[in-house]
Amino acid sequence: MTSRPSVCVAIEPDLIAAATGEAESGAARRVETHIGRCGPCRRDFERYQTIDGEVAALRSHLVATPHVALARERLETRLADLRTRLVAYRVFPSPFGQILIARSEQGVVLVEYLGRSQGLRSSRLGDLPGLEAVEDGEDVEGLYRELRDYLQGRRTRLDWPLDLRLARGDFHRRVLEATAGIPYGSVVSYAGLAREVGRPEAVRAAAQALRWNPLPIVIPCHRVIGSSGALTGYAGGTTERKQKLLAIEGIPTVRAGHDFRIRPEAMYVLAPGDTAYCLPTCPSIDPTGSPRYATRHFPLGGRLFASRERAEVIGLAPCTTCRPDLHPLSR
Amino acid sequence: MVDDSGFEAMVAAHHGEIYRYLVRATRRPSDADDLSQETFLRAYRAHRTLPKEANTRAWLFAIATNLFRNHLRGQRRRRTAYTAVEDMLTETDRMGPEGVALGREVGTQIERAVELLPAKQRLAFLMRKIHGLDYGAIGQSLECSTESARAHVFQALRKIRRALDGHPDEKE
Repeated sequence: MTSRPSVCVAIEPDLIAAATGEAESGAARRVETHIGRCGPCRRDFERYQTIDGEVAALRSHLVATPHVALARERLETRLADLRTRLVAYRVFPSPFGQILIARSEQGVVLVEYLGRSQGLRSSRLGDLPGLEAVEDGEDVEGLYRELRDYLQGRRTRLDWPLDLRLARGDFHRRVLEATAGIPYGSVVSYAGLAREVGRPEAVRAAAQALRWNPLPIVIPCHRVIGSSGALTGYAGGTTERKQKLLAIEGIPTVRAGHDFRIRPEAMYVLAPGDTAYCLPTCPSIDPTGSPRYATRHFPLGGRLFASRERAEVIGLAPCTTCRPDLHPLSR
Repeated sequence: MVDDSGFEAMVAAHHGEIYRYLVRATRRPSDADDLSQETFLRAYRAHRTLPKEANTRAWLFAIATNLFRNHLRGQRRRRTAYTAVEDMLTETDRMGPEGVALGREVGTQIERAVELLPAKQRLAFLMRKIHGLDYGAIGQSLECSTESARAHVFQALRKIRRALDGHPDEKE
């Protein structure tokens, strides 16, 4: 084997670069000078130029198009399957601790209080069969900003498309859908909600459905309370969050032992089937003949409103008997 | 709810070349099919967190390269190198229409020479000379420096040249 002069060995990388059009101008000049006086290197240079030309020809000899099209078709099938399973999530700070927001292709699928923890490990999302969770990008921040505005009282609606796939069965779904329609600044009772979904006897089942509400705040289960006015349960076993969420909407509560309760006597009333809102003492909503009925009881199937404004914004008129417009409740 | 138009545009723009890259890298259309699908499924899972200014093409090549190298490692674990090469050559020979495109038209000799390159050199060569990626992107794909990426391509060219000239084992 003959050994090449060291100058030829040293210039080889530049020579290959120059022959294949990749050398910087300085290197190209050095190579040009060298091959001007070195025959073997000039032949090498020309050989690499030829190879580079053949490689360029390879680029146009590509895989037959039908194969690419078939591969693309199979990819689209698998992507369609992945799209149905994938949920993208992010965790954000809030006055209630860390909150996870997850969305699917159809809509928001989960809102979850994580307390102090930040990660997926403490979320239900990691354990849900048939779902694959991935971290979301900046797009979900728009939802977070709306949620933050809501929690700061600067927004009264979260008009998000909802994906109720985490509802546990048809009855739960119906309860959640009915709950989603409860207006801002008002409350209904569990019994009233059960009536609304056509199962007046299923008060506990309705409460269970809300206990598993995958979209708290967005589906305002905090607006559903006990018939006595007690807030009863909420996520995490504490009604403090519920009380705070109601306070954001201007619904006053008072402490009652370990719980909170609203004061029906401090709320405007909408009787079932009515289109006018009343004072709690209105005779028209008194089914028992007792003039103080509504001050102690939640009218079955009715709603209580924190303010006239909240009642009127959804199109209710003041009652012409008790005239809440002339005699508003004093707080 | 989730806006996928950006991702769909990414598939439309790059699926063909990623598939073609993997056909040349794996030498098996069936593996290229699997790996290109996996590349885009991974991309779909992760594209939301990709910075807006990122070079998506280089990113997709990096995913494809990474998947191919994992695939290669798995293959090596499962078989001896000898039977793997035997299998690959056999499949290339009976690949049908695609085999024709890959192995029997213009460039047959170069294709063969490329096939025999060590994996990193082959991948660097394909990314640079067939797909025109810059060395920075190639380095990221192969988890090496830009200079190493450049060196892989030059080594590949040297070996191709020697293989074409009938001196594949010439001492360097």
